[in-house]
Amino acid sequence: MSISTQMKTRRSLIPIALTLVAVVLALVLKSHLPGGELRAVATIFMFIALSQAWNIIGGFTGYASFGQVVFFGMGGYFTAVVMLKWNFSFWLALVLSGCFAALFAILIGQPLLKLKGHYFAIATLGVAEGMREVVINLPDLTGGGAGISVPIAGKFAKTQYLGDGGFYLLFLALAIFALGIGTLVSRNKFGYGLRAIHQNEDAAAAVGINTVRSKVMAYALSAFITGIVGASYVFQQITIFPERLFDVEITVLMIMMVVIGGSGTVLGPLVGALGLQFVSEYLRQHFTNAHTFILGGIIIVAVILIPQGAVNYLREGRRTKDYSLLTNIRKYRL
Amino acid sequence: MDTFLQVTAYGLLQGGLLALVAVGFSLVWGIMNIVNLSHGAFVILGAYIAWEMQSWIGLDPFLGMFVSAAVLFFVGYFFQRFLINLIVNGPVFITLLLTFGINMILIQGMNLLFTADFRSIQTSYGSNSFEFGNVRIPLVRLLAFLLAIVITFALVAFVKRTRTGISIMATGMDRGAARLMGIQARHVYALTFGISAALAGMAGTMIATIETFDPSKAGKFTLMAFVVAVLGGLGNMYGALVGGLMIGLVESWAGQYLSGTWVNAIAFLVLIIVLIFRPNGLVGKAFYAARVEF
Amino acid sequence: MSKKRKSIAATIAASSLLMVGVYSIPAASAADVLTITIGASVPLTGSLAKEGLLTKEGYQFCQEKVNALSTSTINGKKKQIEIVYQDDTSKPDIAAQNLSKFNDKGIKLILSSYGSANVNAQAAVVEINKQTMVDSGGADDAIFNKGYTRTFNVMSPASEYASSMVKAIAELAKPKPVSIAFLSADDGFSKTVTAGGIKTAKSLGFTVIGPEYFPNATSDVSAALNKIKASKPDVILGSVHFVEGVALIKQSKELGIVPKSFAETVAPPILDFATTLGALAENVLGSSQWTSTAKGQDRYFGNAKNYAAEFKAKFGHEATYHNAEASAACLAMVYSIEKAKSIDADKVRSALSTLDMLSFYGKIKFDSTGQNTYKPMSVIQIQKGKIVTVWPRRDAEAKMLWPYVK
Repeated sequence: MSISTQMKTRRSLIPIALTLVAVVLALVLKSHLPGGELRAVATIFMFIALSQAWNIIGGFTGYASFGQVVFFGMGGYFTAVVMLKWNFSFWLALVLSGCFAALFAILIGQPLLKLKGHYFAIATLGVAEGMREVVINLPDLTGGGAGISVPIAGKFAKTQYLGDGGFYLLFLALAIFALGIGTLVSRNKFGYGLRAIHQNEDAAAAVGINTVRSKVMAYALSAFITGIVGASYVFQQITIFPERLFDVEITVLMIMMVVIGGSGTVLGPLVGALGLQFVSEYLRQHFTNAHTFILGGIIIVAVILIPQGAVNYLREGRRTKDYSLLTNIRKYRL
Repeated sequence: MDTFLQVTAYGLLQGGLLALVAVGFSLVWGIMNIVNLSHGAFVILGAYIAWEMQSWIGLDPFLGMFVSAAVLFFVGYFFQRFLINLIVNGPVFITLLLTFGINMILIQGMNLLFTADFRSIQTSYGSNSFEFGNVRIPLVRLLAFLLAIVITFALVAFVKRTRTGISIMATGMDRGAARLMGIQARHVYALTFGISAALAGMAGTMIATIETFDPSKAGKFTLMAFVVAVLGGLGNMYGALVGGLMIGLVESWAGQYLSGTWVNAIAFLVLIIVLIFRPNGLVGKAFYAARVEF
Repeated sequence: MSKKRKSIAATIAASSLLMVGVYSIPAASAADVLTITIGASVPLTGSLAKEGLLTKEGYQFCQEKVNALSTSTINGKKKQIEIVYQDDTSKPDIAAQNLSKFNDKGIKLILSSYGSANVNAQAAVVEINKQTMVDSGGADDAIFNKGYTRTFNVMSPASEYASSMVKAIAELAKPKPVSIAFLSADDGFSKTVTAGGIKTAKSLGFTVIGPEYFPNATSDVSAALNKIKASKPDVILGSVHFVEGVALIKQSKELGIVPKSFAETVAPPILDFATTLGALAENVLGSSQWTSTAKGQDRYFGNAKNYAAEFKAKFGHEATYHNAEASAACLAMVYSIEKAKSIDADKVRSALSTLDMLSFYGKIKFDSTGQNTYKPMSVIQIQKGKIVTVWPRRDAEAKMLWPYVK
């Protein structure tokens, strides 16, 4: 075996080993945490999955989906409606809502992905805001502004409520799934194509990448993950409302996490989601009145010190053997 | 017919207000490629300053708005010079994150300082309106509308006729070349951001006189500015005005002629359709849309 | 193991340790005092920050009065209550999660958040965790038709908000108006309010115009107003929150719509309403969960007048009905603890289900779904900048001024 193949095998083993360690840690943690903490950690897992999903379209492909929450909301509402009206089991609904979200992404992706930069961003935002109103205006199907509840117990429920522990495992599985997809995309030809589109779309087309198909597929893939996360969120919350399921703040959080961790990497969104969600939860618990104030300050300082994101900063540091934050600031200031 | 005219007039006036909120946002975005997520917080801050001016010394909001503008100019200048300039060469998204952080601090700061009470500026003429035939035109809305137009034309004159304005435009087109010509980009950027914040302050004063405000409204104004700026198109000082009037009209007509609450859905549908057929916005320039983003 | 991997592993380990450390065990109390910890997750930031703060004030006031005046003992120990607060940032998922975190710490007795969406999410979690909650901020009937058994609401249900004003107008307005136009925000609570109002209006023989809806929390309701302008309604009744409520009055003036009276839910009893609208607020009718003329008294707050006076002395502003609801919810909890002679969530729950008391807030008694259907809503009117109770007649401070325009 040549050294380079050995290195390659080692490189591909690292994430698997790391994932295993993380899963074992997460399972150990599960038996030690009480229900409310399980719920809080499950939220962290949820955002790990969401930020990975956003990273595929926003980080790799360079198309900033400002309306990503639309897939969260539509996946969620799809699940709520089929579970309540047609008595589907949650697991079937889960898979179907992913497909539903992906299908919707393919549909709107065709025209929207022709737009560039901010224009794409705002158009997707428009779709999300618009879909919220559609949901509000179809009260017979979706419950409208009054919200909708999924059946969780008794003879009307095909799937019984999973409980805090169950949802912890579910969101853990979703996070691992999303990380797996992210890793796969990052390392195969499809992913390289997306990166090429990010760098220069015309050049990518010139070397034979079907840019339209790649972009739409990336969008659908990220929508699928976002959709199943939305579906799981709905089952966990039981009663849901359009304002929250299409809340632009959820999109903003996804973007924040990707950017703070390092856009276009697999590890970046993971680090960003863990860091930001943990810090904000901790602050909210301990500084009831001033938590957003402190969080804002932390974000500002973090952004100024490492504008390229934590993971990219470490990589650049390793390459140049210079971890000085001062050098880093000099690099990006005007 | 009367109803149609009334609805149209009202939509145009509402559009002027939207344009007023968006014009500064569009300026910063066009020149520096910064999407300022704290713009809405600047609007609210401007509203509070004008409100304080009125309750302390009884200053009329149409004078108080200049105080708001002055204060916010310095706030904006300071933020750009000492915070945002530090990361201007980073990935474009990073400015989003930074301004989001600023937004959080401003909103919570106002929450703690002024409490979350609902406020508005009261004037003796606040709810006056006059009639053209059967169409009623509310006075303060009309003044805000005129203000939006005056500001837009003043801004155009400023960037075309004055040295500072030209240096702002030049920096926006090619920062490297502008610096070679002896333009201090740091100062020009800060200046641009300061002007944007000042315009937000004036918009906030108008909002406070027409509607009610509290810190949690900030997000709504940022979102509105975002939509209006893109719809109008970047790189054209008339963009915000055109975008604002269009959204105002569409929302007004949608509200009148459709049942339910489809107002925003229709507005966004129009936005998406416009973008598909005119990818640079209604009057935007391709150069600004094609810049490498994100 | 490379340096990088080590540091990642260390980070994961450290963060998991921190997660465990986030919760702490409540402090032990002195031997002769029993401190009862009650959890309250309220919106202190976000869109409901204003109402959240009013709710918190109500809870704080209750804690102070109960601890100062409480004489009863539990297991021979003097009882003290301690309410711990969390911010739910006006989001239902966090409101629910906070209750589970309380549950981790063994806090089983809960005072609710503000807003129907928040309380709805909380009610589900309370059921699962076997906690017991008294609700002071979510009035939507939809919360109480799900078969939950552990949430008790001291407020009159949402369907009464508009209905009470319709009844007051039918009873007191001379000459009796003919038509009522219903304008409504499109959230669940407001729609329930509107449906209740329309039902009452029809049964009392009014001509109903509308309903016309506009987006929740919008500051532009002109479209809805333009739609009803032609039918010249005698009364415009808005199922609104503060922002839409103010817009409704202001824009009616702008558009030249002059009904005999405006009636609005939620907004008029908020103190900012009269100060914001000035002269335009005059004679606007509103419905209120509580006014300082409510009949009844209890051993902690005395009657409504005492409550209002002492509250103002402590917090520097008039007590609003949001404050009173919160204090009443806390009071119901305390009475039930005393009645159950226990802090066990199940025993307190059964005590709540049979509670029947009079208080500064009026009658507190829960029907089988957990709603306080025994207390009428009051109707208030803004008269010379002051909030004055005009209905029901036995609580009235002044005559209803009618019509709106003289």
